[in-house]
Amino acid sequence: MTVVQQFDPTQDLGTPAVLSELMLTVLIDGVPVQVPEGTSVMRAAALAGTQIPKLCASDNLQAFGSCRLCLVEIDGRPGTPASCTTPCVDGMSVRTQTPRLDKLRKGVMELYISDHPLDCLTCPANGDCELQDMAGAVGLRTVRYGSEGANHLDAPKDESNPYFTFDASKCIVCSRCVRACSEVQGTFALTIAGRGFGSEVSPSEQQPFLDSECVSCGACVQACPTSTLQEKSVVELGVPTRKVKTTCAYCGVGCSFVAELRGDEVVRMVPDKEGGANAGHSCVKGRFAWGYAQHEERVTTPMIRDAIDEAWREVSWEEAIAFAAGRLNSIRDQYGVDAIGGITSSRCTNEEVYVVQKMVRAAFGTNNVDTCARVCHSPTGYGLKQTFGTSAGTQDFASVEHADVLMVIGANPTDAHPVFASRMKRRLRAGADLIVVDPRAIDLVRSPHVAAEHHLQLLPGTNVAVLNAISHVVATEGWIDEAFVAERCDRASFKAWEAFIRLPENSPEALQEATGVPAEQIRAAAKAYATAGNAAIYYGLGVTEHSQGSTMVMAMANLAMATGNIGRLGVGVNPLRGQNNVQGSCDMGSFPHEFAGYRHVSDETVRNQFADWWGVPLRDAPGMRIPNMLDSAVSGTFRGIYIQGEDIAQSDPNTQHVTAALKAMDCVIVQDLFLNETARFAHVFLPGTSFLEKDGTFTNAERRINRVRPVMTPRAGLSEWEATCALSQAMGYPMEYPNSAAIMDEIAALTPTFAGVSFALLDKVGSVQWPCNDQAPTGTPIMHRERFVRGEGQFITTPYVPTDERSTRKFPLLLTTGRILSQYNVGAQTRRTHNTVWHTEDILDIHEADAEARGVSDGDWIEITSRAGSTRMRARISDDIPAGVVYTTFHHPVSGTNVITTDASDWATNCPEYKVTAVEVRPSAGQAS
Amino acid sequence: MAGMDHQQQHLVKMVNQIASNVPRREAVAEQVGQHLKQFWTPEMRQQLRDIAASEPESLVPDVHAALQSL
Repeated sequence: MTVVQQFDPTQDLGTPAVLSELMLTVLIDGVPVQVPEGTSVMRAAALAGTQIPKLCASDNLQAFGSCRLCLVEIDGRPGTPASCTTPCVDGMSVRTQTPRLDKLRKGVMELYISDHPLDCLTCPANGDCELQDMAGAVGLRTVRYGSEGANHLDAPKDESNPYFTFDASKCIVCSRCVRACSEVQGTFALTIAGRGFGSEVSPSEQQPFLDSECVSCGACVQACPTSTLQEKSVVELGVPTRKVKTTCAYCGVGCSFVAELRGDEVVRMVPDKEGGANAGHSCVKGRFAWGYAQHEERVTTPMIRDAIDEAWREVSWEEAIAFAAGRLNSIRDQYGVDAIGGITSSRCTNEEVYVVQKMVRAAFGTNNVDTCARVCHSPTGYGLKQTFGTSAGTQDFASVEHADVLMVIGANPTDAHPVFASRMKRRLRAGADLIVVDPRAIDLVRSPHVAAEHHLQLLPGTNVAVLNAISHVVATEGWIDEAFVAERCDRASFKAWEAFIRLPENSPEALQEATGVPAEQIRAAAKAYATAGNAAIYYGLGVTEHSQGSTMVMAMANLAMATGNIGRLGVGVNPLRGQNNVQGSCDMGSFPHEFAGYRHVSDETVRNQFADWWGVPLRDAPGMRIPNMLDSAVSGTFRGIYIQGEDIAQSDPNTQHVTAALKAMDCVIVQDLFLNETARFAHVFLPGTSFLEKDGTFTNAERRINRVRPVMTPRAGLSEWEATCALSQAMGYPMEYPNSAAIMDEIAALTPTFAGVSFALLDKVGSVQWPCNDQAPTGTPIMHRERFVRGEGQFITTPYVPTDERSTRKFPLLLTTGRILSQYNVGAQTRRTHNTVWHTEDILDIHEADAEARGVSDGDWIEITSRAGSTRMRARISDDIPAGVVYTTFHHPVSGTNVITTDASDWATNCPEYKVTAVEVRPSAGQAS
Repeated sequence: MAGMDHQQQHLVKMVNQIASNVPRREAVAEQVGQHLKQFWTPEMRQQLRDIAASEPESLVPDVHAALQSL
């Protein structure tokens, strides 16, 4: 008996894997193979080493049975069934090659080729075309049909999409693109219009791709077996000749990609089928928006200047490093070690981040190091550590496939985490219920084949009130999982929480006026969450970027523990991280109070361990957070800063205050790809490396540590970690590593949750999720299975405290901000790609009633004013938001969204309250002030 | 607050906000003190002591109590 395992994970096995414990044995051309019940004959054959010709089948799509090329003969059965749609039966004997099948397949191929351009030699897919391959596989040598009859050879091309072309003349109408759009992406933008010979692929209602509902994820391009849907980069550059596996540098999903190149030039990025986070899918940013790495505005030469009103001088690395070190040492000598500090970036690798925080602590001699996670997910770190014992999400992404109800709070996954959103939508289409807690009607509330059963459209700033009300219902209706709480949680803290949450002041009825959510909606959502079976919470910055961001994280953790929704597949509390290495940058000791692995600087044992390894004494008190550094700069006591890959002048709140602080400093060092807004106030510019040049690791939102591999040499000559080490050396503290793998080795040696991580392991197994150590040598997909990291789960009472940022007569509207699909954060990358065709400017969404009351029409210029400042942009009338709330993005520096956000912040972490700013909107004559 | 600079005003706002939000309402001062030790620099804590002396009315009573424990 031959039991064949999947022998090549990159091979397309034709139909998806089936999960079944019942195994069947079938004979494929006499070769026995054992497969799970439900497996197709096509897949069984592929597992047995026999490739049955196919065109419409792919193992990421359900079998379709349209191309009629995969016919087989089965002993005892009449006819020639399609192998893709025929399930295996125990004892079945299949023949894949017979004279009869050869003749049928040749006939099918002949028909396809009779209506297909015979331009293979000049076709961009030459050598990378399944139709071409299948013609060869079936041995087609002649086509008997002439070209006189009706055909599609003159069908027009659709070149509207900036990244791919649609050449209908080459389409064989196999529907793979349509099915990829539906099954993989979940957008349902494509269909087959017409019937019979008139059948054609149609974006939306036969619109150009650019004008259709297409989100340019590229799943259709990847699925196309011909050159019908083809990357324009392949048309321009030719078929790739080499491949490098790496990781996307955009959102916290952290998709794995195969970079396909010709020489040193990227031709296309193909999502990696083996990628643990994305399983072969991608979004428009990851697949297509990588051109910024070669953008003409990229700075690749170090620059210095004595004062910020002087012109930049291009200098050598040596001169730039010496200049920067001289300035920082001078400040330190004159004003003390607390006058300098640094900021790490979630766009950089774990290794790059680690050496920056090490430089600050060991070379600068201070704990004044912080990270851009300060302005996004610092409350996640605080809240989950207090309740569960560690600062990370509980699940892997695949866990969502086992959830019965999803509660999405303050997140817009289809735009900000699109590849995970596709997984979510697949689960929702399969029957899971959806609760959305958001002031906006995000796409998930209603999109094709997905509708939220519950949309709690709360007022901005009332998250904690809503979660308390949900938990109140759970507690008072008897939906507490008493057994889980008794076994897994701290009893005293639970009793205190239970007494608190049962108070009448936390009832939905008592809070409905504050939250704007009718009590009956809260009660229905609470029942859905608590009684579903497996309930999973997914949340984003709409949770954290509030004055009670940390409280809200703890409120969600309380709810999950109280209902027993922790520690197994399909449940959990899951932060959707904004940038791809937010988790990693926090893990690496970027916060001023913690070393790597979230251990407080006052812990003598841990501090001595780092001090011994690094060979310097380390301070036992926390350093300053970013807002404290900026405040001190304005006061004149903080005078020098190293900023790694972060544009605080655009991304941080209250722009006027940030720029005043930067202007007040004697030495601002910016390391980045472009001269960003912060660089306007810099004295030293150190060119950074794009993700295509980095060698290291990223850690995504599910704690998955993935390799990012260089596909080209650093454009500026040095890796970022090399530049950091050079600066440290110049300041008098040598940091020497032979390569970035050695940095990870040091991280592993000093960080228990990373103890088993090495580049060698990652190269061997692909990726691991921390903790990765002796107890979990290949990582930990689901945390807190038997016990919480802190031992027993800790309930924490969460009194609702309204934010000080409230609407008033002068500022009667509440502004909230977010991200759209095609752009990314401050746009430094995506604005330098063709993604600008979808989003050329930030726009203010305003409800019709609020617009009418102010004389604002759709498309009008408006001025938006808060207590902090004012800016101008165009308005769009939208019913996605309720009256009293306005919404905009922050992707373009010209709109200066953060000019109007205030310095209100989370009480525990100082994460800015971006999601609530009281404003007024007035018509404006135009953009200029 | 009128005599304070931006940094001092921000410290006052932060610490009063911490006092309003710490979870166990029966032990506010204790939790504020723990929070300041865990997350504030010694210099910030000293600045707060100075503010408590010069502008005592700017701080809520629990913050004054917390400062006693530092």
